[in-house]
Amino acid sequence: MTFYIIRRLLFLPLTLLGISLLIFLMIGLLSPYQRLATFINSPERLKGADIDKLVEFYGLNDPLIIQYGRWLKNLFQGNLGWSYVGKKPVYDALVERFPYTLELALFSIFPILFLGINLGVISAVNHNRPIDHSLRIFAVVGWSFPDFVFGLFILMIFYSVLGWFPPGNLSLWAEEIVKSSTFHNFTGMTTIDALLNGRLDVLGDAILHLIGPVLTLTYVQFAFILRITRSSMLEVLQKDYVRTARAKGLDERVVINKHARRNALIPVATVSGQTIIGLLAGAVIVETIFNRTGIGSFMSLAAQQLDYASIMGGTLFFGFILVLGNLIVDISYAFIDPRVRLE
Amino acid sequence: MKRCGVFLLAVLVLMGGMVFAEVKNPDTYIYLSIGEPDTLDPHYAYDTASGEAIEMVYDNLIAYKGESVTEFIPRLSLEVPSLENGLIKDDGKTYVFPLREGVKFHNGSDLTPEDVEYTFERGILMDPYAGPMWMIIEALFDYQTIEDMVGDKLQIAWSDMVNEDGTLKSEEYASKLVDFYHQYIDPAIEVEGQNVVFHLVRPFAPFLSILSQNASWSAIMDKETCVSLGLWNGEPDGWWKYHSLKKEESPIYEKAIGTGPFQLVEWDRAQQKLTFVRNDNYWGEKPKIAKAVIWGIEEWSTRRAMLEAGDADQIYAPLQYLEQVKGMPGIRIEEGARITITALHFNWTVEKGSQYLGSGQLDGEGIPPDFFSDVHVRRAFSYAFDYNTFIEQVLQGYGFRVPSVIPKGLLGFNENLPMYNFDLEKAKEEFQEAWNGEVWEKGFKLTLLYNTGNEARQTACEMLKEHIESLNPKFKIEVQGVQWPTYLDAYRQGQLPAFIIGWLADYPDPHNFVFTYFHSKGVYGTTQGQAFLDFARENLDSLVEKAIAETDNEARQKIYEEIQTIAYENALGITLYQPKEIYPMRDWVKGWMFNPMRSGEVNWEGIYKEE
Repeated sequence: MTFYIIRRLLFLPLTLLGISLLIFLMIGLLSPYQRLATFINSPERLKGADIDKLVEFYGLNDPLIIQYGRWLKNLFQGNLGWSYVGKKPVYDALVERFPYTLELALFSIFPILFLGINLGVISAVNHNRPIDHSLRIFAVVGWSFPDFVFGLFILMIFYSVLGWFPPGNLSLWAEEIVKSSTFHNFTGMTTIDALLNGRLDVLGDAILHLIGPVLTLTYVQFAFILRITRSSMLEVLQKDYVRTARAKGLDERVVINKHARRNALIPVATVSGQTIIGLLAGAVIVETIFNRTGIGSFMSLAAQQLDYASIMGGTLFFGFILVLGNLIVDISYAFIDPRVRLE
Repeated sequence: MKRCGVFLLAVLVLMGGMVFAEVKNPDTYIYLSIGEPDTLDPHYAYDTASGEAIEMVYDNLIAYKGESVTEFIPRLSLEVPSLENGLIKDDGKTYVFPLREGVKFHNGSDLTPEDVEYTFERGILMDPYAGPMWMIIEALFDYQTIEDMVGDKLQIAWSDMVNEDGTLKSEEYASKLVDFYHQYIDPAIEVEGQNVVFHLVRPFAPFLSILSQNASWSAIMDKETCVSLGLWNGEPDGWWKYHSLKKEESPIYEKAIGTGPFQLVEWDRAQQKLTFVRNDNYWGEKPKIAKAVIWGIEEWSTRRAMLEAGDADQIYAPLQYLEQVKGMPGIRIEEGARITITALHFNWTVEKGSQYLGSGQLDGEGIPPDFFSDVHVRRAFSYAFDYNTFIEQVLQGYGFRVPSVIPKGLLGFNENLPMYNFDLEKAKEEFQEAWNGEVWEKGFKLTLLYNTGNEARQTACEMLKEHIESLNPKFKIEVQGVQWPTYLDAYRQGQLPAFIIGWLADYPDPHNFVFTYFHSKGVYGTTQGQAFLDFARENLDSLVEKAIAETDNEARQKIYEEIQTIAYENALGITLYQPKEIYPMRDWVKGWMFNPMRSGEVNWEGIYKEE
């Protein structure tokens, strides 16, 4: 097992290098003037701009290999470059924004899994009865809703009409507290930090700002988990050992929750792992609508503005999470299913 | 369990039902914008977001009076220089500013005339590429960049003397550059007692506008603070090292320490939010609000929702969302017209091989690169645009026509000057004369590009297409939307046969527009093709230069009218409109006032909130 982990980890730097090279090569598809759009990002900025001088100034004319070499050299010195979108070094921008994405992911994954798995089990157990159908319809509606439509919907009802869940990270008063010198930022995640600082009012405000995004993400994503759980559960319920358990005279609840369910959760584990990794990559649209400063909206802005330093830094970051995440998911199999051997 | 749920629901409904009857955040004014400042360094900043922040934190020597863009009031200076009070001397080549005493910067440092001298010298020597300092350099020295000036005076190109990292290619250049400073830069701005004196090489009518508040590049900084932060140390030796650093390398990129009515508390670049507090030690009239927040929120629906909820006092609203704010309870909508125009200009010599020329020849499947060098073609296009319908329907009435590139409100504007009107008959006639009748016979095909995200420009292109194609079945115009980077690329490479481009006044003088569009060295002049450059050099350059050197307003008016008439006769461009903007704000906002030169949409010094 240890050997397996080490081997997988050794591949990490190679994978990251490969990804970075691939993304960088895409620069070759753009002309130097197109890349200049990062610095002159609207017609208004054409004023007083000596375009050719700027192209040279930013080294946009140099051969690709030299530009990549420059980036690599900086990388090995621990410098990811300057983020034009974040207006600070890329590393600082990523570190600043990731906790918001992590927080949203953590607060969303539990409802997604809880709803998905439990409703999936209920659906399977009540196969083809009215409750099964209604749950499936409920789920498909959520899955079909584009997240920007549902998100705006939530914003409209719960903010514009009711005034309950405002957009943004925090209210002004809570923000002042968090930024003051008496508040210690342990993790960068406002909810956890507020708890650790003993400020329940800030915790409450942070949660209030989380509800909208979490609701949106949950409704749009739980359907997938539900369906996987349902079909997996249906399959398991046909298995011999379930029949045996029933024949033994075990209480139906025990049969379902102890025997059937655990086996049914194996494919769900894969999908859950993928869902978590996806959430950690940042929910771009939800972050934009609810004005949360996470990685998703950051990368989206960087892509729109061709901010290559940010894109490369963010890509490395995603690659890292993806590789590590997949490794953890694979390892978790060994724990969930004793039949699995990791070679 | 059930009862708990009902109780919880009741509490939540009650909370939601508590609609605010009073002003939210009474001491804080919250404005929602899009984007955020580029930089807070006044000598780099050239966008409105940066300008807005800089204008709040720094003071300039003078300011505009109320809503006027032609009258000034003193600010850090005790008087506004004029011919009457004798502070403008030597036929307009010398300006004297007596500096106010007892003013302090936010960090306690005193304002002295040396601060003013340092501020301008630093800006001139820095002159970042794509920055605003060209205006000061043009005004004082009649050059466009410091590098041009150095190159011309020393007869050696800047790049031949200085490396990219600021080191010299040879030590002999050091003394040359130091001498350059002593000979030209130092004497241009001098301190005489408590006065700051500017010496221009020739009279420049708009000089006061370039210095006024809302010209963020003329913000006055503190020499001591700047030097301690690592900016130019004020010494002539080694000044070239500080020239044109990258934007993010400026030590005051995110710092702002001025003498102004507000102090910058924080620039949160993750949330694109700026927070300011009132400067309680301000030498002048203090703002009424205690705190100001400018927050960049990209998503329109979110901005609107916050305005509706009262969590924002004013928001940035592009015209296309007018219907969504009209009639919103608790809101009123103010209007204003900025000094800006949007015009369609032609490229008289398109780059060969451009993909927007079709076949590249006048054979019915394309246009030759010099298609627009024929005045008849240009006139035909000018007659084929339905100006009034565009303003009524696309701009929903929020715009108006101007004869040429000079907007209403500026010297040189005259609504009685000849204008092209929508006249398909005349357009047809002009097309029939174009290129000796070949255009009409063979037809043509070209592509008009617009950059996506801009509905008005897209519709303008489509309207032109429809009307021109209706004249002759052999006329084909393709309208294509591209992302901004692609548009920038095509534009820069001279591949666009025609382009729609706007200009917002840097300072309220016609020179700013006329030079830009019509001079062979203007920002847009240079992109209209070689044939246009030749035309400009022969017919326009000298007039433009004469108009700016002239100090008598009546004489200037005549020259600008002459230029605009030439523009009309030669159909140099189609000025589509001068736009009006809408500013939705809460009812409780009081004291709001509009000045077109202001960078932002809020007059922070006078605004306040009251039910």
